Amino acid sequence: MGVPLSRREFLFLGGAAGATAAAGVVVPIAISSRNDGSEGGGAAPPTTGTTTTTSTTTTTEAPGGGETAPPVETAQGYPRVMVASMGSLEVDTPVMFEYPLKGQGNLLVKLGRPARGGVGPDGDVVAYSNQCTHMGCVLTDYDGQHKVLGPCPCHFTTFDLTLDGEVTLGHATEKLPRVILEMDGDDIFAVGVDRLIYGHDDNLAGGEPVA
Amino acid sequence: MSNVPIPPVDAKVNITCCEYCPVACAYKVYSWPVGRDGGRDAADNAYGRDIPVGALSGFWPSEEMHTVTEIDGSPHNVIVLPDADMEVVNIGGTHSIRGGALAKKIYNPEGLTADRLQRPLLRVRGELVPIPWDMALDLIANLSRYTIDTFGELAWGMKIYSYQYYENVFAGSKLARGAIGTPNYSPHHAPAAGDDVPGLSDVGIDAFGSAFEDDKEADVILIAGSDPYETKSVRFTTWTAAGGAQLIYIDPRRTFTAQYALNHGGMHLQLTPGTDVVLFSALAREILANGWEDTEFVDSYVASREELDQESKYRKQLFGQTAQEFRDFIMAEPDFALDRAQEITGVPADDIKKAAEILSGGDGPQPKTMLLFEKGLYWSHNYENTAVIGNLGVLLGATGRPGRATSRMGGHQRGGQSGAGYPLEKSPHSFEGHPIEMDTEEWLVQGNTRMRWIVGTNWLGAMGASHALIAKVAELVRRGPQVTSTDPATAEAQLRARMDAGGMVIVQSDIYLNDSTEYADIILPAATWGEETFARNNAERRLRIYEKFMDPPGEAKPDWWAFAQVAQRMGFEGFDWKESNDIFEAAGPRSEGGRRNFLALVEKAREDGVKAHDLLRSYGNKGLQTPLGRDDGGELTETVRLHENLKFKSDSGKLNFIRPDWATVKARNAAIGPDTSKGEVWVLNGRVNAVWNNMFDHVRRAISRERWPVNFIEVNPEDAGARGIESGDMLSIESDNVLDQLGNRTTGAVSAVAYISDSVPPGVTFVYFNFPGSPANSLTSADSTLQPIARRYNFKLGKGRLTRTGSTELGRIMSFVPRNLAPQGG
Ligand code: SF4
Ligand code: FES
Repeated sequence: MGVPLSRREFLFLGGAAGATAAAGVVVPIAISSRNDGSEGGGAAPPTTGTTTTTSTTTTTEAPGGGETAPPVETAQGYPRVMVASMGSLEVDTPVMFEYPLKGQGNLLVKLGRPARGGVGPDGDVVAYSNQCTHMGCVLTDYDGQHKVLGPCPCHFTTFDLTLDGEVTLGHATEKLPRVILEMDGDDIFAVGVDRLIYGHDDNLAGGEPVA
Repeated sequence: MSNVPIPPVDAKVNITCCEYCPVACAYKVYSWPVGRDGGRDAADNAYGRDIPVGALSGFWPSEEMHTVTEIDGSPHNVIVLPDADMEVVNIGGTHSIRGGALAKKIYNPEGLTADRLQRPLLRVRGELVPIPWDMALDLIANLSRYTIDTFGELAWGMKIYSYQYYENVFAGSKLARGAIGTPNYSPHHAPAAGDDVPGLSDVGIDAFGSAFEDDKEADVILIAGSDPYETKSVRFTTWTAAGGAQLIYIDPRRTFTAQYALNHGGMHLQLTPGTDVVLFSALAREILANGWEDTEFVDSYVASREELDQESKYRKQLFGQTAQEFRDFIMAEPDFALDRAQEITGVPADDIKKAAEILSGGDGPQPKTMLLFEKGLYWSHNYENTAVIGNLGVLLGATGRPGRATSRMGGHQRGGQSGAGYPLEKSPHSFEGHPIEMDTEEWLVQGNTRMRWIVGTNWLGAMGASHALIAKVAELVRRGPQVTSTDPATAEAQLRARMDAGGMVIVQSDIYLNDSTEYADIILPAATWGEETFARNNAERRLRIYEKFMDPPGEAKPDWWAFAQVAQRMGFEGFDWKESNDIFEAAGPRSEGGRRNFLALVEKAREDGVKAHDLLRSYGNKGLQTPLGRDDGGELTETVRLHENLKFKSDSGKLNFIRPDWATVKARNAAIGPDTSKGEVWVLNGRVNAVWNNMFDHVRRAISRERWPVNFIEVNPEDAGARGIESGDMLSIESDNVLDQLGNRTTGAVSAVAYISDSVPPGVTFVYFNFPGSPANSLTSADSTLQPIARRYNFKLGKGRLTRTGSTELGRIMSFVPRNLAPQGG
């Protein structure tokens, strides 16, 4: 039977090897000094593998920005909307915008520190859905000292905006959906969303696109 | 694209609860063939909801809640969704980062769970080779018989989960403790069977566990040795914090919950590790000195000297105190006076005084007070710490009434109904002439165990406590001949010869290989959650069904089946169960009289002509709160809180105080604590929010591994600065002064990435307790004779020297932001 792997699982299992070479970041996982090889049924246990950065969308996200090639997969079907201009951004002062559907709130912020998926000259501009991936409450507290969004007013999940919206502590089972950004001169465009937005089975279904 | 398929109206729906923490949030499992998805209109999907759904709807499966697996031979979507209809436990379908991703635990032949064990394995010339079940079972049965006949039943051991599903624990303990009759039986978490909170039991209070609704009822909640937001996550947000009780949080670390307490009008008593006896006794003294105790309660429910003298339990005779005796004792001990207590515990005297006032209400009306605790308390100093929290509970009347309880919060759920009593009289260990449960690890290290069956635990990681145990095990399994052939007679003869040479044979039952597998000879593939129908209680004694929704992969079988097969092959009777329900029904009578008593359910099922599992299923995800009874009409009755009738654990039904031996604890601290002259610091250990226990599932969940790619160590900025350590550096944490199972000083070490944080004070660090390859117990004492009353390790009191071994790239891929960013009160 063919059981599809999620992209994350793919990266975690086998894709990591290739990505490792490319990114040059290898973190040994100190799980097991042993590899019995012959044991067990199925694939090699992930416990003896390596992990790496899991930057999944490539061309538009490199620090330095400026690249305009549209992301191949994630942006499919998404509107391309200007959401801010670089010159108007101040560090740690979030800007709100709706995307990709009306009513879907997002927060764009210049973190003042390079971030995974960040755009702009310093690679520090990121945007995330402001709906908590636990149960959908709106995340209102941006903490500029730690570059985190949260704690969520409902059950206190906190997300690290420098690291792809990872949960640093809390109930949410998923990272925060990251809005894929693109630079065009001074203008910052939203061109897609990586990961599922709360409430949806498909980010583009069940609502009216912003453009 | 990020998509989660929608279950069609006719998707199969099973009910279950979370596999992990003791809250046991309820879930619904939707499964349907791939390609037959439902639609977004409420009428077109199994949720009966229009999609997208709104905030807090409880009907949004994140990507982590979905997987694809094979059911009945074809690919099926499976969504494991928190049960939005819940009105108890996880009300409205809330969930945590651990259980919320239960779907990712499910076997997926092309995913991260593909390495599930699927066939029995035999180690032949060092390699694990598949063998048929029949051969594996015969080998185990024959070798077990040989062990018992040749070396006696004490040479045959079982180390097994204490907490697992009723059906498995009952079957395993019936084989080991009953049929074989060995005292060489211990749970996953301790070297010896028996009571984990003996001090509190001796006070007379049943520790497991209070009703969640009492967290909401309470005015004041003291929490010691556990961060409930991290580790009983939904209980904290839905119950403990939701009721708005004032929190008095006791922990050497300023965790999330500590900061939450401070932000919400509560207190954090940040004590020096190992000094709980003094802190709790000082609180008691302050209460007594001011007349703030619940006099009416103490007068009514604490035993007199005459009553105490009648008690049959020897420990009550040795340590039990009346109210007056306790008062005299507490007042006379100079270390329990505020100024001395401040010096010893590091908690300011004013804070102790203020906490005593809050807990008791001071001169005002008495608040409803809960005292909750977990392993940070009772795995530091077991007997004494559980006694002192019990003493405080008695003074405050914190038991048996709404919003009043003294209770564990729980480490695991509860399915530990044994199938046979523990054969205490056969134990080689005793305390002051009274037999106590055997320290099975000491016994093993002494070379007395010839065969051991390890069930569902990475036991070397858990019991490791320096490398002495691992070294000894390696030596014992390599002594004498190794197996060179899958021919059953040859393999059996070779393993017998190893036993004859003084060596040991290890059988392991598990769902994955783990760090301990290297030393196993025979490995049995187990079926797990979702692959068999089981039942279990949660921390508030709520008994529920965990339905099977798929077959186990390959030839994996539930543990109860393997136990029964071996028992029958050894010629034992009473193991001819056809299905898990048969065992559940058999366990009913043995649960009678205890906190998990479900005999009434079994009896009612029999009268109704249905299976007990099916009757339990009819109560849905709400289940039934044990102990159960029957009303006049024959309907089942539940028990919301323990000691509701204000009868306690003693012959007289009364409570008593227990005298804690602080002098002994002080000496023990000196024996196991850090040697600061050698640069050692405390190395405490515990759980973190994103992963579960030895991480058997969470090393196979990408999102958890991204959060915790390696073990971490929280280091105070001051300690870090002095050693040139930055967040992201790899550290070796070592001590050459760890006590092994025989009380010898030995070396222990783990490595972890530095996580600089002021949640730990200078001189104190914290690591994850059982990270694969980096078990924190390498740095804790394994000399259980230090706690001779009930053989336990001082698990939470590790120590070591920090040495920076290099920098890593982890700083780029791992978050090092503070983990105690609690919301402000308001
Ligand atoms: S809080 Fe505990 S029981 Fe509930 S989902 Fe999380 S791990 Fe499971
Ligand atoms: S909705 Fe954000 S933590 Fe629950």
